[in-house]
Amino acid sequence: MFDRDEFIEQMIRHLRRPVEIDPGFDERVMREVAALPAGRRPSVIAIGWRWLIRPRPFALSPLAGAAVAAGLAALVLLLSARQRPATPAAREFQFVLVARATTVSLVGDFNDWDTSRTPMRPVRADPALWTAVVPLSPGRYRYAFLVNGSQWIADPGAPAAPDDEFGVPSSVVTVAGS
Amino acid sequence: MGIDNVGTSDAELVRRVLGGDTGAYGALVGRYRDRLGRYAVHMLGNREDAEEALQDAFVRGYRSLARCDDPERFGAWLYGILVNRCRTTGARAARRARLFVRDDAALNGAPLESSAERTELDDVVRRALARLATEYREAFLLKYMEELEYEEMARLTGVGVSALKMRVKRAREQLQVILSEAERV
Repeated sequence: MFDRDEFIEQMIRHLRRPVEIDPGFDERVMREVAALPAGRRPSVIAIGWRWLIRPRPFALSPLAGAAVAAGLAALVLLLSARQRPATPAAREFQFVLVARATTVSLVGDFNDWDTSRTPMRPVRADPALWTAVVPLSPGRYRYAFLVNGSQWIADPGAPAAPDDEFGVPSSVVTVAGS
Repeated sequence: MGIDNVGTSDAELVRRVLGGDTGAYGALVGRYRDRLGRYAVHMLGNREDAEEALQDAFVRGYRSLARCDDPERFGAWLYGILVNRCRTTGARAARRARLFVRDDAALNGAPLESSAERTELDDVVRRALARLATEYREAFLLKYMEELEYEEMARLTGVGVSALKMRVKRAREQLQVILSEAERV
């Protein structure tokens, strides 16, 4: 019996080793490139736009830095005093699944699809009824149930997620703002 | 790569290529060939397809060099092109049904590329990677082999951070299953 986690780590170390590329590769690329029209310089507009959006470091003296920080803090205080928007409060949301299972996990956007973070608990009166309560801020979340550690199922009582980006059936819950 | 290109920044090389010095592109090819090649080889599981995807990425990179918004990050930009080329090449290869065989019996029995130098670990790794779903293999390699942050992976793949975390996690889970199956054989 070997440690599979250790083996995966060994596999990762193995993957990080250099691989051998055909020695004639560079020549092939450059031959193909040479047959193409020469690389074109970007237009003046493109250069200007690139200059405008490119992040760049700048120097600031400590005194000027403190002045900028104080100015920003004053601005934030002023704005928050004038307009104090209600922070969307998280509300507790109960997820329920009926399943004959030994373990059920709730997995979704709200827990980074971590299968271990939100185990569901069976209700004492009905062991086939599994629940979990999760605090959710207003927003839209995709989620699914992981049954017995291997079977992914969507919530039969919720709308299905419109795409299969996650590769598993999933559902959507939308929490409205108050 | 000429000796005068050693230490020259990517941005400078890009500027020279755009100015008509095609040879400067050779320095960029030499600089990124091995790292990108490693990703392509492990992603596609086949050196021939990997070199085709890699060459395609470099040529496409040259053709659209003027659209590289941040030449200082030429490598990351080119990496994004390669990830897409690997997806296309992998899909084509899968259609040809000569890669990523899903039949477990065939996988366990089928010889991979013949090479006297291939070690047992090489074979185990190749077989395990080949059995991962493409999107899981992609996420696993970017995270663990390339050691990228999720935000960078999201920029390269166009997939959300949350989904990438899930794919990486599922890749590890699938590998655990694959390895436990191999253990039983």
